[in-house]
Amino acid sequence: MEYIFSTRKKLSPIRKCWLILLPFLLNPALHSQGDNFPFHVSQLTLKNGLHVIISEDDSFPLVSVVIAYNVGSADEKMGKTGLAYLLENLMFQGSKHVARMQHVALINKIGGRLNALTSEEKTVYYQTVPSNQLPLVLWLESDRMNFLEITESKVERTKDSLLEEIKHRKEIEPYFESLSEFDRLARPGFSYSHPVIGTENDIRNLTLKDVKDFYSTYYAPNNAVLCIAGNVNRSKVEELVRRYFGTLAEGKSPPPRKNPEELKKVSTTQVFEEVLAPTPGFHLGYRLPSPLSNDFYPLQIIEYILLRGRSSRLHKRLMARERLAYSYSGGIEKWKHFSLLKVSVLANNEVMTEMCRKAVYSEVNRIRTTRIPDKELTKAKNMLKADYVSRYSTTLGRALFLVDSYLQKGSLSHLATELSMFLGVTPGDIIRVAHRYLSPDNRILLTVRIK
Amino acid sequence: MRNLSARERRILTAFLFISLLGPQALYAQEKFRRSPPFPQPLRLLKLPEIESVKLSNGLKVALVRREGLPLLTMQLIVLSGESSSPEGKSGVATITARMFPKGAENLTSSKVDEIIEYIGGKVTTAAYGDYSVFTLTFLEEYLEVALDMLSRMILRPSFLRREIDAEKRNIFFEIREREKDPSYLGKKHLLQLLFEGHPYAKVAFREDSLKNIYPRDILQFFRRYYRPENCILLFQGDLNLNTAVKKTSHYLNLWKGREKEITYLKPPEACKKKRVAFVDLPGAKEATVFLGNVIYTPSRKEYFPLFVLNQVLGGTPNSRLFLNLRESKEYAYFAFSEVELFRLCSVFIIRARVRPKFIFLSVEECLKEIEKILREEISSFEIEQAKSYLLGNFPLNIENLDDFSRYLSKILAFDIGSEFWTRYYENIMSVSTEKVFEIVQNYPFATPVIVVVGDKENIMDYLSDFEEIEIYDSKGIFQYLISKGVEE
Repeated sequence: MEYIFSTRKKLSPIRKCWLILLPFLLNPALHSQGDNFPFHVSQLTLKNGLHVIISEDDSFPLVSVVIAYNVGSADEKMGKTGLAYLLENLMFQGSKHVARMQHVALINKIGGRLNALTSEEKTVYYQTVPSNQLPLVLWLESDRMNFLEITESKVERTKDSLLEEIKHRKEIEPYFESLSEFDRLARPGFSYSHPVIGTENDIRNLTLKDVKDFYSTYYAPNNAVLCIAGNVNRSKVEELVRRYFGTLAEGKSPPPRKNPEELKKVSTTQVFEEVLAPTPGFHLGYRLPSPLSNDFYPLQIIEYILLRGRSSRLHKRLMARERLAYSYSGGIEKWKHFSLLKVSVLANNEVMTEMCRKAVYSEVNRIRTTRIPDKELTKAKNMLKADYVSRYSTTLGRALFLVDSYLQKGSLSHLATELSMFLGVTPGDIIRVAHRYLSPDNRILLTVRIK
Repeated sequence: MRNLSARERRILTAFLFISLLGPQALYAQEKFRRSPPFPQPLRLLKLPEIESVKLSNGLKVALVRREGLPLLTMQLIVLSGESSSPEGKSGVATITARMFPKGAENLTSSKVDEIIEYIGGKVTTAAYGDYSVFTLTFLEEYLEVALDMLSRMILRPSFLRREIDAEKRNIFFEIREREKDPSYLGKKHLLQLLFEGHPYAKVAFREDSLKNIYPRDILQFFRRYYRPENCILLFQGDLNLNTAVKKTSHYLNLWKGREKEITYLKPPEACKKKRVAFVDLPGAKEATVFLGNVIYTPSRKEYFPLFVLNQVLGGTPNSRLFLNLRESKEYAYFAFSEVELFRLCSVFIIRARVRPKFIFLSVEECLKEIEKILREEISSFEIEQAKSYLLGNFPLNIENLDDFSRYLSKILAFDIGSEFWTRYYENIMSVSTEKVFEIVQNYPFATPVIVVVGDKENIMDYLSDFEEIEIYDSKGIFQYLISKGVEE
């Protein structure tokens, strides 16, 4: 018996062409990324719109499955806040073939880990399991994507637990109220400035219909990205994904998110009285452009120069040299269409708070006016590089990294050059963007006093 | 148009019916959605080899290759930890470990911070009962900078009084803060009771002992134990052993070794009598109960049946303790068990957060679960489930760079790499029901030390069922004894 593709038989040129083209013809949507990628990635889109990212890595017999829905608190309407987070909680309460909390129990039983998160722009579910258990996770995720069981009693129970969570956070996070107020001042528009967890009044008024409508609008394959990273075989993964997700119906296109209008500079100074705060302090912010902007690269380097690590300018000034502050924290928070540099400082009393504020202003001003020494710039870039590559050092880290990158920019093509864009920032770029964005007319200050 | 046959009509009707019902009917046909799928064959864990070589000064240089990231991890493992701190000065090993990266002669602590961050580095330090570790992860192109800094810290250390005082203050406040957590406080107290009179008791040191520690204690500890013959320098990353050895020799050639000082420490003995203690934690809403004892295994291989046993008893929410105390009896918020390894022994611990009125009944249930394990063989189904959990979960516990380093430093410090690294899967897979039952009979599970943590104000009434209970204050200082409701 002679096999058609026997290597001994000389193939005609046409047959050779067929052999080369065959894998592409069989998988019309599957394509791999180029050599400049930090690791191997391939992608496909199912007919129902589900975008799938696969990254093979055989370091450990593990697989991480991350599914991100392109929906978050920014999609909530006024008076309906808390819906996105409520739904995240409901996704663990059972679907047609999976009993309440069975998802968690099944993953625990096989030694896996799972969690979920909701932000303004996305809701993400993730789990890491032994790689031979990939079918189980896809079965679980596909069931709750399409067959979630939402009942009156489940909604009411979840609303109660959310109200309890808000109460608890207010009790244990002494700066919860002032941070919420700061977000309201610093972020543009209603969509982004209300708390992800929702407000108590809105949560109480949410109905079964609100929740069902939200689920049917946003939880559909065409509004999701699925990433599978780990010790798996690409074609086997594709086969499984098609089995579990391929027949799920495409949803209607969700209404477009109300993006903030063109980002305007804003300058404001206000005072907030916290009831539980043990010490006074302030929250300071500067509105920054979208992470898609080229200005974002030098701004991210500025974050490292100012705030990251024990040798950063603010650490040396506030904590080491002058010992002005009790503690400080901060960084750049980013969304699709804008970002925000935020610094929170706590000091022992109001006089020290004022000294801290002046010190932070003067350090921000120094970035705007004085060329950064080469050695300090290299240090900032090295710290960023180490953090950047550490993000994808685990299968879960890698899957989250890929999903975030995809949702942020709508493709993964930028990953081939992203790190080199950060490493190519010059001292001139830093002064230019600092002048543009870290100016007094773009500064939001909320001073926190003890009530 | 020809007439359709009966078969064709049936197919057409079925097709129309399904089309009218829409996707729901299609899903109904997908039988695979009805129950969880079976797993695929288990993929085996392939761990990189631990290569090592001993230099002429006695320093062991070890290497574990880890590819795919431009990062290197360098760990100095000192084979002495808190149990080697001088008597009455518990905490010396911890302060020495923390002071190690705080500078050297002509190298201030802030200069060290600058160097570490310049090479994209992150540092952690820790002192455990048996060993201390300094870990530095950095960008691979800066290996020489990292080694140069390490050699300066080793060869020309500087332990400045003000830095030591600041570190003592930090540790003091950290302990204060952590002792607000009943899980930390209870475990610490349990270890103090279990290791009473043994140097391992120093791992659970109190903040009071810090005031007896002076800069000369730190220097003496450093000079005595931070020596090449008592250390392992471990590299992880895309590096070969030859390069690691060459560079280490270049930067540490002045680090002189001497004859290894061998101290024979006896393993601590298990507690054989009933002992119950209560530790006051004002403000705690619930009670946290601990049961534990010291376990000595003559061979490291015997730990594997013990791990499987622990898994069956209390490793996860699917284990017996959780299902009994929380799901069935509703006494507890959680109930778990763990095995903590030391070089000379291990400690078996059950931990449960319970409602105060169920303290005594919870302890009784934990003891019943222990008795059951001693009396009846565990079903092979439960054993296989536990093994499958451990095999699946193990890579998750070492996948992260920090966890990987932490685990490797432990098995190198305990010299158990062959069993716990290369043969881990094999060792777990070979555990049988009979082996677990046989091993269990040798250990003192039946007489655990019991520690209850909670707020004295709400809990004292619920302790009267215990025959005898020692009462401690929140600092762990003994106050008085109660015998069946009578204070002594």
